[in-house]
Amino acid sequence: MQQLLGRLHPLIVHLPIGFLILVLLLQWYDRKANEWHKVIAIVYFWAGITAVLACITGYLQYQGEGYSYDSVKWHLWLGIITAVFCFAMYLKISPKKTVSFLVKAPISILSVIAFVLISFTGHQGGNITHGEAYLIEPLPNSVKSLLGFEIIEEKELALTEENWEDALVYEEVIQPILNSKCVSCHNPKKDKGALLLHSKEGILKGGESGAVLASHSKESELYARMVLPMEDDDHMPPEGKKQPSKEEIKLISAWMDAGHPFEGTVKEIGLKKDLFISFFPSTSYKSHPELEVPEASQDSIKSIEKYGIYLDPISESTHFLSVSCINKPNFKDDDFDKLRPVREQIAQLDLGGTQVTDAIFEKLTQFPNLSTLKLDNTGLTGNGIDALKNLEYLHTINLSGSLFDQPVDIFSSFKSLEKVYLFKTKVDKKGPKSLKDGQLILDYGGYELPPIPSDSIIY
Amino acid sequence: MKHHTDIVNRLLREKLERETQAKTRRHFIKSCAQGMGGLALSSIFMGCDPLQKPKAIAQNSFTERDLNPLATLAPHYGPKVKSVIYLHMAGAPSQLEMFDYKPQLQKYHGQDCPQSLLEGKKFAFIKGTPKLMGPQAEFKQEGESGNWVSNFLPHFKKVVDEVAFLKAVHTDQFNHGPAQLFMHTGSPRLGRPSIGAWATYGLGSENQNLPGFVVLTSGGNTPDAGKSVWGSGFLPSVYQGVQCRSKGDPVLYIEDPDGISRNLKKSTIDAINKINKEEYAKYADPEILARINQYEMAYRMQIAVPEVMNINNEPEHIKQMYGVEPGKESFANNCLLARKLVEDGVRFVQLFDWGWDTHGNVREGSIDLGLRNKCREIDRPMTALIMDLKQRGLLEDTLIVWGGEFGRTPMQENRGNKEMAYKGRDHHGDAFTMWMAGGGIKKGASQGATDDIGFSGIEGRVSVHDVHATILHLLGFNHEEFTFDFQGRPFRLTDVEGEIIKEILA
Repeated sequence: MQQLLGRLHPLIVHLPIGFLILVLLLQWYDRKANEWHKVIAIVYFWAGITAVLACITGYLQYQGEGYSYDSVKWHLWLGIITAVFCFAMYLKISPKKTVSFLVKAPISILSVIAFVLISFTGHQGGNITHGEAYLIEPLPNSVKSLLGFEIIEEKELALTEENWEDALVYEEVIQPILNSKCVSCHNPKKDKGALLLHSKEGILKGGESGAVLASHSKESELYARMVLPMEDDDHMPPEGKKQPSKEEIKLISAWMDAGHPFEGTVKEIGLKKDLFISFFPSTSYKSHPELEVPEASQDSIKSIEKYGIYLDPISESTHFLSVSCINKPNFKDDDFDKLRPVREQIAQLDLGGTQVTDAIFEKLTQFPNLSTLKLDNTGLTGNGIDALKNLEYLHTINLSGSLFDQPVDIFSSFKSLEKVYLFKTKVDKKGPKSLKDGQLILDYGGYELPPIPSDSIIY
Repeated sequence: MKHHTDIVNRLLREKLERETQAKTRRHFIKSCAQGMGGLALSSIFMGCDPLQKPKAIAQNSFTERDLNPLATLAPHYGPKVKSVIYLHMAGAPSQLEMFDYKPQLQKYHGQDCPQSLLEGKKFAFIKGTPKLMGPQAEFKQEGESGNWVSNFLPHFKKVVDEVAFLKAVHTDQFNHGPAQLFMHTGSPRLGRPSIGAWATYGLGSENQNLPGFVVLTSGGNTPDAGKSVWGSGFLPSVYQGVQCRSKGDPVLYIEDPDGISRNLKKSTIDAINKINKEEYAKYADPEILARINQYEMAYRMQIAVPEVMNINNEPEHIKQMYGVEPGKESFANNCLLARKLVEDGVRFVQLFDWGWDTHGNVREGSIDLGLRNKCREIDRPMTALIMDLKQRGLLEDTLIVWGGEFGRTPMQENRGNKEMAYKGRDHHGDAFTMWMAGGGIKKGASQGATDDIGFSGIEGRVSVHDVHATILHLLGFNHEEFTFDFQGRPFRLTDVEGEIIKEILA
């Protein structure tokens, strides 16, 4: 029962806070007429009563949940002072005027003091439950260092095909993994389980349950907790926190199996390349710009779909759309305006096999996030295609099977273009195979497999 | 006579009883139609627990997905490819004569296989102590990647830099049927959905006039495991592969019967659907909506399927590139069809080519003769397929997977402990080669290695589940979250295993 009442503390504390805000508002409205003293006194009275309740439940929680006096003393005494202050204000303002203190100070100033008192008390309470860095954590690093807080690098591990062998095993591989997945709870400010994982000393020392390292990963507490099933209470990091990837766990296990060295490079310790491959930057194909766009309205999606055009969300994690006219071969220039409501969301547009003409290039410039554009098997000659050169994210244009006959150099002014398909067009197949120092590949197709003698040998 | 009256009486009594039963049931249902309807609905929607559907589907309401089961849906994360073409060499091709070059094996040619390798192993036919057999093909490193390709595949070497090899795939099955099931459904036993069914279930299909999952077979036979390798298992049957034939009618019974015009057909379907819609208005059973949709889909397919399945309209140089033989059933025709289908937005195209079971018991099934013929049959078409997809800009949206259900032994088969008429190799699941090409695949990669004689993988071994996890990953799915609830538990294609093969991803 005591514990239950104690746990109601975080609920009850909001009552005096509310009352004191109400006091400020009432005084603001009453600033000219000065007629509401009676009401304000009553609100102060209730602020006092609820503050006392908050103090009692707070005390029970402090007793019941094993907080040290040192950690709660400020909060405790400020809370009591606030409660007393509220009653004092009640007695001062109430018509009976039984108490008169700070006679000259205007009531409004005193109310502001009361509010500051309770805010400060509340903040102290918040720090006890959530930790002192709770409000600092989400700030960007630049602001943090400006405020004088130590920054723990939470960068994800990134290595390259060229430098992975020279990376320092502990400093550049293991510690960054711990920093991004463990240190937010196991640091000097918030040493959960008395374990510190931000430094070599902390890792070697271990925590409440003893050492975390072992000469074989299978015997190590650090490793074991990461591979326990998520449902297990001992699983680390706890559910809801960012989890290390399988590859990161594998690296930590390999590091421990190699005798958890704190010095030396990957090469010196002899870790294999396949442990690192997944941390190499991926050069994979960009399905959409790395931007946030607002979600397209369901109404506009529905009405476009009704029209026979397919709009597919590219994935669950983005609002970008892939649009295909595969079921609407009679799509014409005029139909283009139908797509206007989702112009921001379209990243992939497939107009292959439709009736569009060269007039669409001007219209396409209104689709700022186009990444892939398929215009294959259309009657386009490409006249005016340079209008697309300012599209910032456009990396692939497919013109194969169209009547494209423009000089291919025009593509060199396109901002991010990487690939143009020109198979079965009117351009000369012997043109340049790439532009912009190899950044832009032109594929003329027309690949052949000439017959060879073995084609007809039957064994 | 009395006997007859007895029978008649008994029948009359039975009839009366049945009628009474029927009447009461009808009355009961009619009188509480509303209540029952409500009950039925509630059970339908309870069955529609969002957890029961994969994440991608939960957002679509039940009836909407039911009305249009092939509507496209969002995958978990940005997919690298939109379509898959899976080339399966049924019977299991010999990796040792195609991609996995083992010069050491040549040294040991003719020697007894060490006992240590045979202990605890099961073989389909090998008895006693077989002899090792060196590679029966000549190998060269090809392309910039320097990956090995044998002289059995003189065309394929031209695209070797486009593909990524998996040199140490392993399976635990050593008979064709179960191994094929395992390769395509993730379980060696019947009842699971195939990869293509999972893909169409999870993503739907773009082209509303074509099935989302098409199967083409060649080589004169369908796979040993039967149609279950493209079945839908416990998924709704609309997601199963539609087998199209490369000669004759592409889909059986798709042509209108003689004397029935397309207009008459349309009005027939309209009439049936009108009745179905009335039924739906009365009972609100989503199955009826599905039926309405199927009628309309079949009607649209009547035009679209024969069109896409007709390779005669392709230009001559393309036909030559693939080496097609119009009118016949061939792997080359199927490769060209696969390109056409993918071009038209089909999600999953599955090719099976039969005749790779090279035991050495017959001439066609010999490593040095029959296998060469099979290699010739696929070499040009699969090379052309990669080139053709590439020039059309389709290769970056398509994943091509090539493989068999297992590999073949480094030992010469000695069926019945006797020397066989031709050179052959037995079934072997410890290590075999597969390759992938297309969107999201690291060009020219080679993952894994086998020991000196190609018996087992010693580095970078990957399982069938790993291959599945990788295919789903490229389609945009997290294989661990892509599940379907059946018989009280969620099922995955990869069961409880599978890791994405990151080494071959770009």
